[in-house]
Amino acid sequence: MEKKIFLNEKDIPKAWYNIQADLPNPLPPPLNPGTGEPITPDMLAPIFPMNLIEQEVSTQRWIDIPEEVLEKLLMWRPTPLYRATALEKFLGTPAKIYFKNEGVSPPGSHKPNTAIAQAYYNKVAGTKRLTTETGAGQWGGALAFACGQFGLELKVYMVRVSYNQKPYRRVMMETWGAKCVPSPSPDTNAGRKFLEGNPDHPGSLGMAISEAIEDAVTSKNTKYSLGSVLNHVLMHQTIIGLEAEKQLAAVGDYPNVVIGCAGGGSNFAGISFPFVRDKIHGKDIRIIAAEPTSCPSLTRGDYVYDFGDTAMTTPLLPMYSIGHNFIPAPIHAGGLRYHGMAPLVSRLCADGLIEARAYNQLETFAAGIIFAKTEGFIPAPETNHAIACVIEEAKAAKEEGKEKVILMNWSGHGIIDLASYDAYMCGKLQDYVLPNEEIQKLLKDLEKFPKPK
Amino acid sequence: MDIYCTQLGMIIDIAYCFSVNEGLPCRNTIGCWKERADVIALLKAQFTDEQLKKVFSGLPKSKLERILESLKSAREEE
Repeated sequence: MEKKIFLNEKDIPKAWYNIQADLPNPLPPPLNPGTGEPITPDMLAPIFPMNLIEQEVSTQRWIDIPEEVLEKLLMWRPTPLYRATALEKFLGTPAKIYFKNEGVSPPGSHKPNTAIAQAYYNKVAGTKRLTTETGAGQWGGALAFACGQFGLELKVYMVRVSYNQKPYRRVMMETWGAKCVPSPSPDTNAGRKFLEGNPDHPGSLGMAISEAIEDAVTSKNTKYSLGSVLNHVLMHQTIIGLEAEKQLAAVGDYPNVVIGCAGGGSNFAGISFPFVRDKIHGKDIRIIAAEPTSCPSLTRGDYVYDFGDTAMTTPLLPMYSIGHNFIPAPIHAGGLRYHGMAPLVSRLCADGLIEARAYNQLETFAAGIIFAKTEGFIPAPETNHAIACVIEEAKAAKEEGKEKVILMNWSGHGIIDLASYDAYMCGKLQDYVLPNEEIQKLLKDLEKFPKPK
Repeated sequence: MDIYCTQLGMIIDIAYCFSVNEGLPCRNTIGCWKERADVIALLKAQFTDEQLKKVFSGLPKSKLERILESLKSAREEE
């Protein structure tokens, strides 16, 4: 039995798969929140090059991967598909578990699959410089690597609390030639405004986005780039699933279940969309997005809200009912939106083509440690959501006595996120039962933080 | 009280969760903390109903909406 299934470089997929060509129900056009009218390409032109805007709206099924992009992707692609034999043995499951190791890329995750493409398309469009935001640095690092490969300048606005606490991703970015500043920064009007209110503001992703976009709009030959959510970003990631199809075929297997963790949706889309295509055409396959319980997203049914729901029976509401005086406003479902989830993934969930499961933090870290102890690789904390789902499916297979084939996207390694594992293993991520004096102490600690205006 | 923030990709203290949104809590606070602490009691002790309603009611903006809003603000400042 092979532990690793390699794909010959000459067999690397030569085109990305665009699921917009096959959606049973087309994606509604995104609406401009200011006007309520559909967004037109020219609205995005200040921040994205036209070649990427065209991909964003395209319904062409296959989009050729340029040779220059393939040349760079070949630095680490095709990525190996592993048979998780040690994990299978540990779980005592008859299931066959395969994982696509995207952690072998230079930045250590799936992110450069789109970063390289975006850097290339910007380069040919005449862009000289990119801006972006990053939380703890996964996306910033990937884009820094890609911009270095194509000779583009890059400025990364890194959320200040991350900038201060996670130096290694910043150092990675700078090693690849990018400039990384803590956000809010004094470099933009948006940043200066936030700093005026609090010079030590820890920052947020929202602030960092504002800064990156202002920079792109006000600087010459500069565009903006992001690592998830948008259609073209998800499409670039389909190289993952397209490779996995070929690799599984080489050993005579086809998945019964495809699993990926879902935050913004890009790595999940990457592994799953080629298989969703098969499902749309009648194949019996389950596709599961594993997400954190952090916010109501795919698992909470936001999709079904409408103005008629004045009885307030939607699943979201009990969670947000913080007292009998608190009545959430009626919620408009026209935009088919989720919290930060890619519209394409949301659409597929609403159409019943994918299912979603939420996993809490402690069970995901436990799953990650099981994986590290069996298969050796330490997963990125985000990847652990997929692993928790795989373990659940494998245990179900054991109970059913079924030899199902499970395919998972192992979206990245956790070698630069060991502080998170340390916090878990030290018991810092525990459940808290707070007596009143602890609550008062906590509230006292909060006094030094910014107050709402 | 620490938590792994799935948005930032790092461990943060609950104080960040409670203040990141211009002094108001992050919209994900309840979802992130509800299985680990009586976060609703903490939120009610710290904020008014009006403030909590501002954060937690309605659907959040999509990423594209946030981008377009930032674009609009940036152009207005230019």
